[in-house]
Parts: sequence; C-alpha cells; structure tokens
Amino acid sequence: MSGVLVVAESRQGALREVSRELIGAALGVKDEADGRVAVAVIGAGGGEHAAVLGAPGVDEVLTVEDAPEHFEAHVHGAALEALIEQEQPSVVLLGHTIDSLGFGPAVAARLELGFASDVTGLDWDGGPVATRGGYGGKVQVELDFPGKETVLLMLRAGAFEAPAENASVPARAVQVSAEPQTEHLGFREVEAGDVDITKAEFLLSVGRGIEDKDALPQFEELAESMGATLSVSRPLVDAGWVSNARQVGQSGKTVKPRVYLALGISGAVQHLAGMQNADTIIAVNTDPEAPIFRVAHYGAVVDLFDVADELAEQFPG
Amino acid sequence: MKIVVPVKEVAVLDEEFDLLEDRPGVDPDAIEWELNEWDDFSVEAALQLREAQGDGEVVVVSVGDEEAEEGLRACLAKGADRALRVWDDSLEGADPLAVARVLAAVVERESPDLVLCGVQSSDAVQGATGVALAAHLGLPRVAVVKALDYDGGSGSATVERELEGGLTEMLRVRLPALLTIQTGINEPRYANLRAIKQAKEKPLEVLGPADVGLDDTALAAAAGSRTRSMAPPETGGGAEMLGGSASDVAGRIADIVKERMAG
Amino acid sequence: MARDSKYDILFEPIQLGPKTLKNRFYQVPHCIGAGSEKPGFQAYHRGMKAEGGWGALCTEYCSIHPESDDTHRVSARIWDDDDVRNLAVMCDRLHEFDALAGIELWYGGPHAPCMESRHNPRGPSQIPSDFEVNTHPRYMDKDDIEEVQKMYVDAAVRARDAGFDIVYVYGAHSYLPLQFLSPFYNKRTDEYGGSFENRARFWKECLEQVREAVGDDCAIASRFAVDTLYGPSSIEIGEDGVRFVEHVDDLVDLWDLTVGDIAEWGQNAGPSRFFEENHEKPYTGQVKAGDHTNKPVVGVGRITNPDTMVAIISSGQFDIIGAARPSISDPFLPKKIEEGRPEDIRECIGCNQCISRWEIGGPPMICTQNATAGEEYRRGWHPEKFHPAKNADKGVLVVGAGPAGMECAMVLGKRDMSAVHLVEADKEIGGCVNWISQLGHSDGKENLARGTARGLGEWKRIVNYRQIQLDKLKNVEVNLNSRLSTQDVLEYGAEIVIIATGCHFATNGLNPATHDVIEGADATLDWQLTPDEVVKGGKEIGNRVLVLENEGYYMGVSIAQKLAGEGKEVTLVTQMGDVANYMEFTLEAPMLHRDLHRLGVKIHPYTMLEKIEPGTCHAYNVWNPAHKEQFEVDTVVLCTQRVSNDELYHELRADKDALEREGVEAVYMIGDASAPRMIPDAIFDGHRLAREIDSPNPAMPLPFIRERRLWGNVSNDDYESRLLNTSDVTPMAGVAK
Repeated sequence: MSGVLVVAESRQGALREVSRELIGAALGVKDEADGRVAVAVIGAGGGEHAAVLGAPGVDEVLTVEDAPEHFEAHVHGAALEALIEQEQPSVVLLGHTIDSLGFGPAVAARLELGFASDVTGLDWDGGPVATRGGYGGKVQVELDFPGKETVLLMLRAGAFEAPAENASVPARAVQVSAEPQTEHLGFREVEAGDVDITKAEFLLSVGRGIEDKDALPQFEELAESMGATLSVSRPLVDAGWVSNARQVGQSGKTVKPRVYLALGISGAVQHLAGMQNADTIIAVNTDPEAPIFRVAHYGAVVDLFDVADELAEQFPG
Repeated sequence: MKIVVPVKEVAVLDEEFDLLEDRPGVDPDAIEWELNEWDDFSVEAALQLREAQGDGEVVVVSVGDEEAEEGLRACLAKGADRALRVWDDSLEGADPLAVARVLAAVVERESPDLVLCGVQSSDAVQGATGVALAAHLGLPRVAVVKALDYDGGSGSATVERELEGGLTEMLRVRLPALLTIQTGINEPRYANLRAIKQAKEKPLEVLGPADVGLDDTALAAAAGSRTRSMAPPETGGGAEMLGGSASDVAGRIADIVKERMAG
Repeated sequence: MARDSKYDILFEPIQLGPKTLKNRFYQVPHCIGAGSEKPGFQAYHRGMKAEGGWGALCTEYCSIHPESDDTHRVSARIWDDDDVRNLAVMCDRLHEFDALAGIELWYGGPHAPCMESRHNPRGPSQIPSDFEVNTHPRYMDKDDIEEVQKMYVDAAVRARDAGFDIVYVYGAHSYLPLQFLSPFYNKRTDEYGGSFENRARFWKECLEQVREAVGDDCAIASRFAVDTLYGPSSIEIGEDGVRFVEHVDDLVDLWDLTVGDIAEWGQNAGPSRFFEENHEKPYTGQVKAGDHTNKPVVGVGRITNPDTMVAIISSGQFDIIGAARPSISDPFLPKKIEEGRPEDIRECIGCNQCISRWEIGGPPMICTQNATAGEEYRRGWHPEKFHPAKNADKGVLVVGAGPAGMECAMVLGKRDMSAVHLVEADKEIGGCVNWISQLGHSDGKENLARGTARGLGEWKRIVNYRQIQLDKLKNVEVNLNSRLSTQDVLEYGAEIVIIATGCHFATNGLNPATHDVIEGADATLDWQLTPDEVVKGGKEIGNRVLVLENEGYYMGVSIAQKLAGEGKEVTLVTQMGDVANYMEFTLEAPMLHRDLHRLGVKIHPYTMLEKIEPGTCHAYNVWNPAHKEQFEVDTVVLCTQRVSNDELYHELRADKDALEREGVEAVYMIGDASAPRMIPDAIFDGHRLAREIDSPNPAMPLPFIRERRLWGNVSNDDYESRLLNTSDVTPMAGVAK
C-alpha cells in the first residue's frame, strides 16, 4: 500500500472547501506515504471540479460519474471501497463532515482499516499518526494504527491548510457500480426559531466593553453580516440590555462553536467556563492583561469599535 | 416491531485531572459517568415508535463495564423492555470500530427491525460507531437524522438528514435499517420514581464476547486505532497576538473566520 | 481544588495599626437586629462569617451611651460591663478563627429619638433630624462636648476590654462627628464651627482621645462619608472630603469610606435596581487615587465578584474589600475563592431585604439568597453544613421549581436524601424569578440623582446559584416541561410529596382593601392585564394605562415604571397613602419616586376603583367614598393581590385512600402555593421544610431559641437545649458561656 487517496466533497453542485484542505494534508505526508496522491470525486458531474482540485503534487483526479448527482451514503461507500481496492492507498482522507459520517466509518469497518475521525493533526512515524481530542476535548490524543496497511482518516474542516496553488492534473474516469439504498426526496432550508446559541457554529460575543446599550444594534448587524450569532457576557444581561438566552457563561449557556469572537469581554472566570472549549477563540480587548487572552487562540489589544467598523467593511452585509 | 438502541455511558472529566504516568489515560477518580446525551433522544425515538405501533420491543445494548448498568437501568426506567451489557476487560479503551464489531455480534442475535444510535458520544466524539455497526449488520443507514416518520404499512421511514449551514435533506429508507439520531429530534421523557424502582426488576443480561462468538483475533482485527499518547490540550502558551492597526487586525480576523468557517 | 493564583492578592495580610488583618475580606459594620441583647445571634452570625474566612467582622452601629438610642431600630450598645460581657462572646468567637473584631462607636445626636431610654440627645446645633420624625437635639456647649467626648473614650475602653481589635469613631451616615464637620448640621460660631479646622475639631479630638486611651491595643478606624451627595451644603469629595482625610490621617489606622447620609442611605447601600457593583468608586476611589492618605482604605459598593475584587486592589482603588450584603448572602465567600470553587459563591442580588428588616425596626435580619442568615443561633443552621436526613430512604417529589421548590430540593439533596425529583411545568427552572427579573427598567436614563433604573437582572442570581448547586447534586433530578396532574403525582412513586406550585395574580380585582372583586375587572379580556402578562407580552397595551396597585411593594410601581419608560401615559392608583411602601424599607423608594416623577406617572393615593368599563375606570376616595373620580384609559393592569395555586395540594389531601394506596406518606406545601409572600420568605419556607423533613411533624416549624431574660438563675446550656430540638443543628463549639 502506498500513497494517499483523497475523497473530495461537493453539495448541490458546488465543491466544498474542505476538499482542498484534505489535499493540502495529503501533500503533507505524500513523501512518507511513498506513493501518489489521487483525488476522487464521486457523483455525476464531478468532472467539472477536476480543474479546481489540481495542485502541484497531486498526481491524478479520479471521477466516478456513474452515480447520482447528489450524495448517497451507500453509493459513496461502495465507490470508495472499489477505489481503495484499485488504488491500494496507505492513507485515505475524508473530511469530518455530515456526508462523510454517512460512509467513512462503514468503509473502514467493512475493510477493517485503521480509522480515526475529527482529526486535527497528521504526522508520520512508520505510518500515519493522527491527533484528535479526547474526553470531550479536555485532552489531546495521538493515535497510531499498528498492523493496518490502509488507514482512513476524517479530517476536521478548517484544521488543515489548502495548497496555495492550483495545477492542471490529469483526470481519469473510473467505473464503479453501486446501488443507492435510500431515496432522495429533496432539500429544504431551515427557518431560524428562538435563538439557541449552543447550536451556533460562529458566535460574535460582546461584553462590557461596548459600554452602552445603544451600541448593541451595531454589533447585531455586524454579527449578521459575518454570518455569526450574537452572544453576550453577563454584565449585559444583568443590566437588562439582552435576554439571558444569549448569555455565555456559568449562569448562561456553555458553547462550543467553531469560532468564538469576543469583543470587549475581559474573561471573568464565570464567562470562561462557558466558552473555553470553543475551537477557535479570538479576543479583542483594550486591556492587555485581560484574562480572556489566556484561553484565546488569537488576541488583539485594539479598540473594539475600530475593529468592528473595519470588520463591517470586510463583511459587507 | 423490535427496535434495538445501542447506548453508551460516557466519561465526564473534571476540570482538574491527572494524567496517568505508565500509560495514556487519566486518573479514574477524575471521571464521572453519565448516559450519553444523544442516547436520551434515540431511546425516546424508539419508545415513541413502539407506542405508535401499539406493540413491539425496545432493547437497549451497551458495551461497557459495571458503570454502564446505571445508564441501562435509566433506559429501562424510561420504558425500554430489556437491556444487554457486553464486556470483557480486553475491551478497555476500545475504539468505535471495535465497539461496533462487538455490538454487531449482539445485535445480530436480536434481528431488529430498526437500530437507532446516537450521532456521537460526548466523550469520544467520533460519530462512527453507528455507521460502522450498520456496515457490519449489512443494514442501510442514514446518519445525523433530525426527523423521523415511520409508515408501518409501507415498511419504510421518511427521515430528514441535518446538513451543515441550516440545510436539510429528506430521504426515504426501507426497514430494517440503522439511523443515527441527532439531539433535538424529540422531547425525551423522564422516568418517575416508580418507574426507576420498577426498572430494577426488568431483565438486564450480561454477556462476554465469547457468548456472541467473538474471539481475541476477531476483536483485534476490528479495532481501528491505538492510543499512543495523551496530553493536556495545546494552549500554545496564550494567544497569538495580532499586531498592527485596527484595520490590520480586522483583516487578520476576517481571514481566520473565513478559514475556520469553511467547509 | 486549589486557589487560582490570580486571587492571591486577596489573601495577603495587611497591617492595621497594632493589628494584622489576615486577608482583604472585611465585613464592614452592618445591622442585623441582634445588638448586645441577643448575644447568641450576634456571635453566631458574625462567627459564621469568620468561619467562612472573612478577616474582620464588625458589629453594627454601637451606641456609646443611653443618650444615643435608636429604638425602634436595633443597634448594639456598650453602656456597661454587662454589655461588655455579651459583646465579648462575639469577640471570642471571631478570635477562634483568627479574625479581627471591630466595633463601630456611635452617637446619633438628633437622629436618635431615644424612645427606650428617654434621654435627650445632644447635637452641634439645634437642627431637627431629617431622618427621624420630630426629634431635636440639645445644643452642646463646651462642657457638653467634653462630656460626650468622654463617652467615646469610656466606650472605647470597654470595647478594648471586651476584646475588640478595631475601634471606630463613626462619622458616616451623618452621625455626630460628621454633624460637626458638615455645615448642613453645624451652624456654630465658636471654635467648633465655621471654618474647616473648627468644624473638624470635634472629630479630631475624639480620635486623639480614643487613640490615647486604646490606640496601643486596638486599631483606630474611622467611617467617613467622603461625599454626602448634598452638594456644597454638606461634605463633597473634592472639598472637605479629601481635606478631612488629610487633616486627621495620622490619627487613624484604617479609613472606612462611604457616600451619602442617613436620610437617603440607599446611595451607600445601593440596591441593584439602581446601582451597579462598585458604584461608590467615583467618590471613595478618589482618596487613594489622589494620594490623600498614607493609611489602608476599605470601601464598599456591593462588591460580589472575585475578579472585581482583584481589580479594585490591584488598581489601587482600595486596599481592602469592604462588604456587608455580600457577606450576608455568602458567609463563606472567601473560603470558596480559596478552595478554588468561586462558582459556588451565592451572590448578593441587591434586593436589600436584609436592610428592610432593620428599617422596620425589630425583626431579625433575613436574606433572599441565604435562608440561614439570622438563623445561625436561634435555629442552629449552618449555610454550608447539612446533616443526613434520618428518613433519607424516602423518595421525594417536589412539584414546581420556583424559589421555594428549588431551595427545598437543593437542601434535601444536600441532606443526602436518596432520591429527589424536582418537576417543573415550564421549560426552565426559576418560576416567577424568570419574569420578575425582567422588571425594574424605565427609559434607561438617569433619574435626577446618581443612578439609573437598570433593572432587576441581578435577581436572576437566585436561579443561577440554585441551578449550579442542583446540577452538582447527583441525588436530585430536575425534570422540565412537565405539568403534573393529581394522578401523575399519586403515581409518581414518591413517599413524600412537596407542592410548590406558586401563585397567580387575581384577575377579577379581588383585593386586600375590600376583600371583594371589582365590578368589570377581568384580566381574561385583552385590554386588562396582570403584571406577569405585561412582562411576558402577548397582549397589546394602549397608550393610556391605569395600574391599580393594592400590594404595597414593587410590583405595581415596576409596571408603571416600565410602561412609562416605553412612552405610555400611566396613572397609578392605590388605596394606601403612597405607593410602594415597603420600598421605603429597602431604600429603593427615593430613586423610584424620582423616576416615576420624571416619567410623568400620575399617582392617586387613597383611591380605589369600584367599577371598570371599556375605556373608563370609576374610582372613589377611600376617606370619602362619595368623592368620585373617573379615569379615561385604554388598558388596565390589575396588581391587586396574589392567589395561591393550591388546587393540586387540596385534591391530593382530599383523597386519603388514594394516598395510602399509592404509598404517599406525606403531602406538604411551601412558598406562594401555601400563601403568597415575598421571595425571601418563599425560599425560607422551602429551606425550613428540608431542614426539618425528618422531624416528627415537618409541616409545623420546630421551636427556635428566643433570646430573652429568664427569671432566676438559668444556664445557657439548659436554656438552649430545652428550646432547640432539631436534628439539623450545627452547635457552635467553644463559645464562652
């Protein structure tokens, strides 16, 4: 077994960004995997994406067109199994996404592959070494896969870098016959109901730093244009400016979004308890000693209103 | 209608804990156990189906040591009919694929019409056991189900699959099948004190891997990974400070946000 | 768990004259209703905080002579050796925990009506009190001044002999020393009046004399209102405030700084309704910031948050964190920080219920958050210690997770009951607190004095604390979204059932004045509302609103404030002489009245409604019912009285056969479901039942110790053991008997 097989992902005709991140990760271990990097696109019309998927170091794009246009878990699973059989890769990379959860583990189980999901780091030590969280993210764990010739890993979106450049790469159609076992009935958008900040993937959180109730609308608008949900720290709820439903903290809600952008929040211990396990924490506060900088991944000591104005330009409603 | 619901007693780690010296792991005294949050929803879904059909059986299964019995009894108290627990010390630290293999052996004996799993467990957060189990059982599967409507007449279920970004896909699948259930699909019931008392009398069978035809070789082959180290999470010694003007900072923040929210 | 190192600064000792304060947690003088005549209450209450880690505990204001007698209000007294004996109990107790004992030597002058002692108070000028009714002082000549100064000295010596470590010359809240300093009280033309030095002379001499008498043994403290908030007519921080600090700085070992005077001392003990945490900073913070002192400074501001405390000390605002109410709410606040569990701190909500009892004069102090406040001695309750219940094997069902239900379930959980289920119909716990805490806003503007109607958001801490505690209790399960019928309760499987279903506002105008409904009153109609409907929304509110307020506390006025703040024309009608009487006692009244006035709310006292019609309310004057009045309105809010939701309880109790068949051994009722009351009393009710769940007849509260004179020779032990008979008592070891 050698080389890396990447499975790209698309939805409703659009290629998803995680696909290029997987390619970046694959290129990172290409040498150790001692083989080729191939990118598979499963689904009718996939050939269109071939051009975008190329990058220096990618050897081939494999298209499986004899499949429904939209995702079907069993078709994708069977197709991947066939590809693994054909390509004999050491490493198979999928995104840790809703679609991939539908077939990645099934393929790994049936073929008795090495397996790990929600992987945030990939190294090599005689074979792949995957880093992920443990105990709900309270520890960091390294996994290896002794005795496994092929290892299937599902990588967390946003944890790996996409390759900087594109390149033109040969595409090859692969014939795989696979039967769907579910019937697609359609898609629909979900309406927003009562705000539930625990379900938000991106929270824009404001605290005392905004100083005045009148400043709130500006941040509500900014949250909307950034695609974030607005949340707050306790002083704003105590002052009655915002309902407790939006409060992050010990006496509010505990959240674990992908991105937590805190503006003007100092990071009182009760607040940190509610958000410190967020994947990416960005904090802006004029006080360089603010405790929130201890848990943030990124910080900036600048005026939050200035930053807010600039961000509004970066994300025009 | 027989519905099997695999459940998991998950580990909740204290804020302060010690790592073990001799092997990757944490001090067991720092762990509290509770039933996986997702299992409240899958058990509720099973109970509602049984009620709608008028009859049937809901069987809960767990791969776990004695700690798992508390969770199984809680499911029995809510209304499950029977519980099974499979364990052997060799299963300590088993990964999702190994667990799925053991579950498959147990579930197969039950010949269920439907298997409902939680999407993921709150401690391991792999989201893999259910789908791997389906593969072993040879059942069609749908992962991350947020709505479920079963039509007894046609023997198929219409489900909604929750996608990223607020999108939903509607699907139909024929039973027998396996679904992984997302939180929020229903309003889980609770058990009153009488039901909790009565649950102590409901059947809870304890099995070993050998009882379901699994030997060490099979288990070893099924395992998907090995934990080679465990460490406190990388805090990186504080935040990476973004310098420059507000405009520079906003630009960097925008990049980080776009990158993290991608895919 | 270990203390987070960022709190280390709070545990650094600091020198106060000859004494060492072991940490920065200082309970400033505050009233509790104990005085010197309930020594058990005094010693156990202060002692509980010493056990909880507070570095210094002070008495309430302590009268130095029968001429300073504040009856009906309860002060401490150190008039004679018997008082010394009683107060020594407190000192001994505090010393067991290495805490310092402070005594606030007080002479009230015109503010002390002497209704018990029948002495004549003296004052710098003969100016009647603006706090008390019809109380004038006698003008002090030089002999009088010497005599009164000697009272301070004699009292200080007695205090030293009692064991006190910190002796205050108390001038804040406009008591005697401040009355000399302030031109508002001092119109003298001799060397004790006129210029700053002259006006400061009395206070300075007191400090000199007290220092000379006991300064080697005790730390000399002075409590000073650096700004009385009266403008130039009295003390201002930028003028005499800092000037006086500098003038006598060498004579004090500790400055205890406040703002305001006694007539509106709610500016100092600021309720959360109008004042935020650390609200005195703009005034008291100037003393150290402007380098006006070389001595340690302690100040207050309802400081509850450990992070705020750290910021106050590291920024140099104060050296020591002063607290009264936060120490009542959680005597173990310092310990919880030290033990690395700040999330267990039971935070003060600033409701000022504790103060209200002292203001009423007589009743012991209570606390909404801490049901054991005031019960440490007379019921033997410890806020952090709970003894396992003897009937722990019985399953308990608590129906309703409002204040009473939450508290009861929590305490039952802490008493190791085997299984407690707290079942709530709503989607979250908290009951009425969830909507009440949304009140208290008006239009967001400052209301002519220092402060804004910032809302009752901090009252939500009632729920926050109990949520955290309930989550930690493995033997307590909370089940939401579940409204139980009588049958559900019977079949629940609990041997003990506790009904805590709260109350609702009368929809038909039933009221305490006439004991009858009001013709046409019907809050089921869409133009009439009960207060909770106003908060929860759902009915449209017209422009002209009449609020009928018959209760006398905050509900009617809070509704008026909210709607007026939203721009409505509000008429407030009450059968009483004024609205919100109880808010006089919680010190919220002055700011509230300013706000109502500013918002243009029209208040009609001594007025009742006899009929309500669409568009018109027909009213009459309670002194002369023939004197009628009509109000043209669009919307009516009926805040007449509350009615218990007790049907479930009575249905259960009516069918004894069913109870027996289903194995329900006892059915109790607590909180508003039993009888509508104030929130602290509902919480107390739930707490008491849980503490006494294993007594022979839990529905009937067990006797408590009344500290009273018994005729003949009776020992303390005898007295206590006869009267106190509950399993959940934590006896206080080692107190001098």
